[in-house]
Amino acid sequence: MTPVNGTQPVLEDLNVIVAGQGGDGSLTVVTLLAELMRDYGFNVYTERDVLSRIRGGHTAATVRAFSGDRYCIGSNIDLLVALDDEAIEKNTRHLDGNSIVIFDESGGKLTNGSLPKGIKLYSAPFNRIAMRTMRRELYRNSIAFGVVSRLIGLEDEALKKIFKKRFARLGTTVLDYNLEALDLGFGIADEFGLTNGAGLYKIKKKKAANKLLITGNESVALGFIVAGGRFYAGYPITPSSEILESLQKWLPMFGGVARQTEDELSGINMAMGAALTGARVMVGTSGPGFSLMQEGIGHAGSAEIPIVIVDCQRAGPSTGMPTKPEQSDINLMIFGGHGDFPRIVLAPGHPEDCFYLAAEATNLAFKYQCPVYISMDQGLSQNIATVDPFDLEKIEVDEGYQLDAEDLKKLDVYKRYAHTENDISPFAKPGTPGGFSLVTGNEHDEWGLVSTDPDNRVQMMKKRMNKIEHAKEHLPEARHFGNGDEKIGFIGIGMTYGVILEAMEQLEAYGVDTQFLQLRTIWPVLDEVNEFINRCDKVYVVEYNAVGQLAHLLMHQGADSGKIIKIIKYDGIPFRPREIYNRVMEENKSNNAGKKKTKKKRANSK
Amino acid sequence: MTKTFSPARPIWCAGCGDFAVQGVLEKSLDSLNIPREQLMFLAGIGCSGTIQNNIKCYGYHALHGRVLPTAIGVKLANPNLTVVAAGGDGDGYAIGAGHLVHTFRSNPSLTYIVMNNSNYGLTKGQPSPTSPLGYKSNAEMDMDAILLGLSLPSTTFLARGFSGHPEQLGQLLVAALKHAEEGKGFAFIEVLSPCVTYYDTHREWASRVHNVDEDPDYNCTDRGNAFSKSLEILNNHKIPIGLLYHGEHVSLESLSLKEDCIPPALQDLNSPDSVENCKKIIQSFMG
Ligand SMILES: Cc1ncc(C[n+]2csc(CCOP(=O)(O)OP(=O)(O)O)c2C)c(N)n1
Ligand code: SF4
Ligand SMILES: [Mg+2]
Repeated sequence: MTPVNGTQPVLEDLNVIVAGQGGDGSLTVVTLLAELMRDYGFNVYTERDVLSRIRGGHTAATVRAFSGDRYCIGSNIDLLVALDDEAIEKNTRHLDGNSIVIFDESGGKLTNGSLPKGIKLYSAPFNRIAMRTMRRELYRNSIAFGVVSRLIGLEDEALKKIFKKRFARLGTTVLDYNLEALDLGFGIADEFGLTNGAGLYKIKKKKAANKLLITGNESVALGFIVAGGRFYAGYPITPSSEILESLQKWLPMFGGVARQTEDELSGINMAMGAALTGARVMVGTSGPGFSLMQEGIGHAGSAEIPIVIVDCQRAGPSTGMPTKPEQSDINLMIFGGHGDFPRIVLAPGHPEDCFYLAAEATNLAFKYQCPVYISMDQGLSQNIATVDPFDLEKIEVDEGYQLDAEDLKKLDVYKRYAHTENDISPFAKPGTPGGFSLVTGNEHDEWGLVSTDPDNRVQMMKKRMNKIEHAKEHLPEARHFGNGDEKIGFIGIGMTYGVILEAMEQLEAYGVDTQFLQLRTIWPVLDEVNEFINRCDKVYVVEYNAVGQLAHLLMHQGADSGKIIKIIKYDGIPFRPREIYNRVMEENKSNNAGKKKTKKKRANSK
Repeated sequence: MTKTFSPARPIWCAGCGDFAVQGVLEKSLDSLNIPREQLMFLAGIGCSGTIQNNIKCYGYHALHGRVLPTAIGVKLANPNLTVVAAGGDGDGYAIGAGHLVHTFRSNPSLTYIVMNNSNYGLTKGQPSPTSPLGYKSNAEMDMDAILLGLSLPSTTFLARGFSGHPEQLGQLLVAALKHAEEGKGFAFIEVLSPCVTYYDTHREWASRVHNVDEDPDYNCTDRGNAFSKSLEILNNHKIPIGLLYHGEHVSLESLSLKEDCIPPALQDLNSPDSVENCKKIIQSFMG
């Protein structure tokens, strides 16, 4: 960050962290700021670091505003809004010499030396002012917000507008108080010499910002609906609950149902019940609930029931760290459940991906009559990002192999589990005359009658497993970044997407060229993976778990283990691009690395 | 006519109470003229859980203990269907007990038949939640699902029949199916269905049943009376059978689905309305 009062630079990349105690409202401030910056025409990305309780405990939320595309928080924090001492302690490590701190000194002024040298400090008793003038500490966020926005250089009017939009539905009193608090904040900013328009940056509102500001969970919910999803069952669990909440709001508009069940056992089975009728269904959960669903998911595989399962992964095992990200259910998604059954696992990398892959998953489940997973992680599920508006034209509802009464009339025999060329059997919705059938997870013959005949068993097992082979060429391909001839590769899924891309840029600037394969289907493992690995000398598999589950999966599927290097993290804190950069630089020093290149070119998708 | 599966021959031991349940159920369905293609018949896991294989229907074999949530899923996705769930006492009262409580609470319009033989038949006679204290070193008191149902204010139909009294069982089943058919909620019927092989209770039960349908002191529309009378009968070492409670409560599907709305399973997924609604939601995420 450049010091205030010099010539104002154009804003390119701004990282703001708001930290305090749980319930302080840091999340609200960040969400508002994100919305505001989006309206100014920037791309934004937010991240939350909260505890699994409603009040107390250190909480932080971060927002990044950027003029290009970014799907992660930057390596340095430009502006820290510290609502108490602990916020300073916990976050100074992210600051550098150019950072600025806004501090709520209600609990006492900062002692000398608590901030690194060179950092500019704006200190005011926000909480005390709020209590004194408005009788509620709640309003200190709005007061601080006034100072933050002046510091950044946003216009007072834009702020007021967004306040009106945000608080109006809470009633005029709430709105009036917040606007008053905002004015108090502007007053304090004036005293600091931060007048309207005299902030750090020259910021002009760009033309209409044509971007959605959305989380992965919301995008998944919407993608499901667009592909015909009409029934959802879930039991509240962080970080998946927003899917249930969104669908409870939206599905009734479409004549659908989102039901909160008594537990996940009920959830998975209720969804299967709905799927039996021909409705397109989804369940969403996280670690503990996902473990409970295992029996049901295997049953769907055996009985050939179409179902989409969203696993919003959090730090496990057991109740682990409920609000922290991880990607440690990869094994369970791919190998979980007893017995052998077919499944497909898709892995989106950002909210836009979430939308299209959720639609794809809904169609694939229906087409191949098997469980289809959407592998999410806490960051992807809950972080808000700007994305291009979703294109409904791109999505078609796959009708699958369905028979209606007319089709049935033309048939001599109807067998629910008939062997066919592509191993997909016909399905008639209950209620259709002539389509009587038995559906069971027991081994069965083509009619659905229980059978332990050895030949039948082998044929049926092959039929089910083969569906995945047929599906292979229709599954979402990975996205490739780079030219294709770089010797160092990255592989990652989910929330590693943005970090890897940014690390690639930083590496490239210092002469280390890399390529990146963002996997979007992780089961079955597609040929693209080994093709990519074969082109590289070494491949860093970046993931959030303790053992390198994705790396192991790829090696198990034939990847050259001599080339695979794991970059893993399981401390609950998202990677920063700099960490990846440092690790790769360290291990590739001997190359032509280390000299900053003048010309910067962005990794491009091909 | 398109040929579909031929119903299986029952796998039950000769003399098993479950034969009577199947026979009476088929008659009851016919007497109500329920077209068989409208019947979604779900069963749990156990000897009882094979009943759906034996009749023409859309049949489903649920996981052990999960027949109720599955049946609710069917009902919510297509309330036009006649949904009948069946299973054993182990299935419904042990591994699936949680779901029973919540189904009592939510009152979906479906019929649930528990074939109670007071043991785990299929796994060879282990004690179940309705086995008496002391049965094969059973260390727990037996439970009464009707009393459980009576204790929850949202139950609407609670009955108990006996496979040895098929005529009354038929009347109860017809009433249960009607209750669900008319959208009045969850029709729960437990059938005392002895297991001749592992725990033959036929004679004992025949001598212990107390028919409340013929008891002038029993008022099945008064929850308090039903509870105290049932308790009294049980304390006298008798088992109350008949229509044990009949009340009113809003059904789950009427709360979950809009009236006159096309069921989730039968919708036109490409309708212009649905496209418009998607656009509206997307718009709400724009500035
Ligand atoms: C999760 C699970 N645990 C255990 C079993 C094994 N099992 C099959 S049937 C059964 C008990 C059946 O008893 P009940 O429900 O009373 O039915 P019955 O055979 O007496 O009709 C058990 C424990 C299973 N299938 N699934
Ligand atoms: S074991 Fe018992 S319950 Fe099972 S079929 Fe035989 S008699 Fe009936
Ligand atoms: Mg039993």
